[in-house]
Amino acid sequence: MQEIIYKITDPRGIHARPAGQLVKLIKEYKSTCQLGSATNLVDGKHLLSVMKLSLQQGDSLTLQFSGADEKEAADAVLKFLQENL
Amino acid sequence: MFGLDKLFSQKTPSFNLVSPLDGELIDKSAIPDPTFVEGILGPTAGFNPAVGVIYAPCDGKITQMFRTGHALTITSLFGAEILIHVGINTVDLKGKGFKPLVNEDADVKQGDPLIEFDIPAIKEAGFSLEVPLVICNPDDFKKIEFVAPTQVKAGDPICTLEK
Repeated sequence: MQEIIYKITDPRGIHARPAGQLVKLIKEYKSTCQLGSATNLVDGKHLLSVMKLSLQQGDSLTLQFSGADEKEAADAVLKFLQENL
Repeated sequence: MFGLDKLFSQKTPSFNLVSPLDGELIDKSAIPDPTFVEGILGPTAGFNPAVGVIYAPCDGKITQMFRTGHALTITSLFGAEILIHVGINTVDLKGKGFKPLVNEDADVKQGDPLIEFDIPAIKEAGFSLEVPLVICNPDDFKKIEFVAPTQVKAGDPICTLEK
């Protein structure tokens, strides 16, 4: 399992557009991804669930990847988060 | 063979979504936001609203009312997961000009009013008012087809989905 914990810096938080981009990227990998706040993780490949987290600036986003390409998935998603959120 | 004729006469299950507003249905390429033009969130149609009310495009449950009232997601009874986003970059209005009319998790009927929005105020604040409607779970359907760009009234059929 690969885990990322990332603090959201974008003042808009994870609204519709970044949620869509994030889910699209996660879907490119075979590994499963659970993401959310530490106490509420949802399927990272399910757009409506990811949007519903409505994470805001300052919130911590936890992502857990499991599967054959978990390292690649975690690296790519961390890069996306750093560049966009 | 008892029942076999029934099996073969069964049609592919097909479902309709209706227009969520009075106005004009436009091609997604006319929405001034690449996220929607490229369909990153899923198959997309756009609308130019003539009146500032969003109505339910189907029977279903409100999955999410965005805290700023500028967007919502609804899961239809037949399983389509739909995002309706009022205006472009309107998250930045922080709720100004938007009035949610239903709560999250509410069961709604096709045609129920969901969001009221103030078209002149939002335009005056410098925002574009296209309303993208996105099917967010296209993998659950064999076919998703929007009608061609046209004038629409709330309740007119705008999309056919087949499982």
